[in-house]
Amino acid sequence: MRLIAGPVFDVTEHVISARWLADGTSAVAVPSAGAPVVWNGSEVSRELPDHGLLGNGCLAVHPTMPMFATGGSDGKLRIYPTPDGAPIESKLGRSWIDRARWSPDGSRLAVGHGKDLLILDPAGEIVWQSPPHKSTVCDVTWNPTQPDELAVACDGGAYLWKIGGGEPFARFDWGGASLIITWSPDGRWVVTGDQTPSVHLYDVPRDFPLHIQGYESKVKALAFNSNARRLATGGSALITVWNCTGKTGPENSTPRQLEGHDDLCVALEFRPGSDLLVSGGADGRLLVFETEKSVRPQAAYLLDAAVSTVAWHPTELRILAGTASGKVQTFDISL
Amino acid sequence: MTTPSRTPVTILTGYLGAGKTTLLNHILTGQHGRKIAVIENEFGEIGIDHDLVVNADEEIFEMNNGCICCTVRGDLIRILGGLMKRRDKFDHVLIETTGLADPGPVVQTFFMDDDMKEQFFVNGVVTLVDAKHILQHIDDSSEAQEQIAFADVVLLNKADLVGPADLDALERRIRSTNALTKIHRTINAEVDLSLVLDIGGFNLDHAMELDPHFLDEEDDHHHEHHDHEHDSEITSVGIVVDGDCNGPKLNAWLSELVRVDGADIFRMKGVFAIVGNPDRVIFQGVHMLIDAANGGPWGARERQNRVVFIGRNLDREALNAGFRACLV
Repeated sequence: MRLIAGPVFDVTEHVISARWLADGTSAVAVPSAGAPVVWNGSEVSRELPDHGLLGNGCLAVHPTMPMFATGGSDGKLRIYPTPDGAPIESKLGRSWIDRARWSPDGSRLAVGHGKDLLILDPAGEIVWQSPPHKSTVCDVTWNPTQPDELAVACDGGAYLWKIGGGEPFARFDWGGASLIITWSPDGRWVVTGDQTPSVHLYDVPRDFPLHIQGYESKVKALAFNSNARRLATGGSALITVWNCTGKTGPENSTPRQLEGHDDLCVALEFRPGSDLLVSGGADGRLLVFETEKSVRPQAAYLLDAAVSTVAWHPTELRILAGTASGKVQTFDISL
Repeated sequence: MTTPSRTPVTILTGYLGAGKTTLLNHILTGQHGRKIAVIENEFGEIGIDHDLVVNADEEIFEMNNGCICCTVRGDLIRILGGLMKRRDKFDHVLIETTGLADPGPVVQTFFMDDDMKEQFFVNGVVTLVDAKHILQHIDDSSEAQEQIAFADVVLLNKADLVGPADLDALERRIRSTNALTKIHRTINAEVDLSLVLDIGGFNLDHAMELDPHFLDEEDDHHHEHHDHEHDSEITSVGIVVDGDCNGPKLNAWLSELVRVDGADIFRMKGVFAIVGNPDRVIFQGVHMLIDAANGGPWGARERQNRVVFIGRNLDREALNAGFRACLV
């Protein structure tokens, strides 16, 4: 396996997020400050308005259509129905917006806005708002199997909401602080990466929490594979992959630890429908693993700065990687 | 401790209506030549609509079962983490807390979080005090007392609304809580901005700049305390002792002190003479977090230990006895 470096485009500042749009013909990259850009596969086709002097916050790419949204420090959310169309702008308030996620069916957009969880429709209208949480919504994730359910990380744990509900239908409280949250594709696990060097897993059907410690730093990267059997976690130079099958999942199991980074792993994503995992590290390395075959990377490439974001193309064996130096580059994989 | 590559952070506290927003407006419009990012937590009051101001909800991260000393501010970690990704860095960050905020977690964020520690240093805590109204709530409000206890600088604002004698009394009252703070009287929060932005209060290089007369003021307080002019549970205890300390003993005593009483100790600063060490050892702490560094040669100065503790229910005699037991 080999990574073949493709075109590079420059967004000048640290790349917060770079993702392919659903049709795979173009991509969007959001830098920490300055104009987010649309890239059409050969050149930057469009510069988008930024989110103020204090910077951009997030990018949310629609799962089925070439549609996306950006948010930032100006408290605005802009939904772009098409890569070249005018945005629908919503001023949600004065709070910074750095978390937005489309629902798996693309019918709604969840936004963490201060202590509120807001649900918007594709036209930018707020269709539901949770009662205020006790603290800021740190991250939000949808239940891939239940289109009305989502989870937020906040207030020392995770709240699980059903849209329209007056209170969360479940709450996992461990009295700490979580930074990121994700829901496994089979709907079983809600997982948080924490401010302390740890990961919390909640087995939702069993209402059973697991706490995994032993990481070297905050865990800023989590990724499930498509069948929810494997959970890859950052939090050190080693990538720790947990077995989430069986009655107890990772409990009392020994994880696989993938090698190849010299510094923290900060970005992870499984290729849809496979066990190929791409990782990006603070060491500037982009690595691709066949997670079921080897703990060593099958392909590697050294970029000019720390990798900040990685994303698989929706259909092709192609990766998009962004760096702290503002470069975004594509890589094809030759088997 | 302070390296040029790190960005200074000033924390602005003050009870509701003390004038924080007015001061922020001065800073944002002043001709100081610095690019300052402001994080505003003041929800419920009139916020500032400015391109360099971002709003955040105060978010407490309790990292160790609610231990106050292990509590940091998640909102700051997220927002500052984002800001510092940019190449064109800000010269200074100013954090305005809510009127009822505890400054402790804000300060601790920059000591405990690795990312924050790498990129920022706390330049100081500035507390605005409403000279006209502070006395109405200072004895009932632990928040107001703690904001003063944490302050490197107190701006005694609305000084035009109070007579000189009352201002003098108020200053004594503030010093009885915090013997280390510098106090400036202001009207409409107008102040030379260097007094607010260039404090160096958490810089160990400045920790040795303890006012040599602070004990005099503290003695005044002690006297007033017995006169029942007020009954503040947050006080300062200053210790000045000639002679050399046994380093391991001092380290053990301080470690045990903050382990047991750290939740009640807001700030500590000191300069120590350690036997066998020709240089000053400078020291500071917040709750259970303590830090020490070499302060350079004593030179012509007398080898004299000086330390101040600011906290709640401090046991003056025990602190003195504990420290003296560390002397050789």
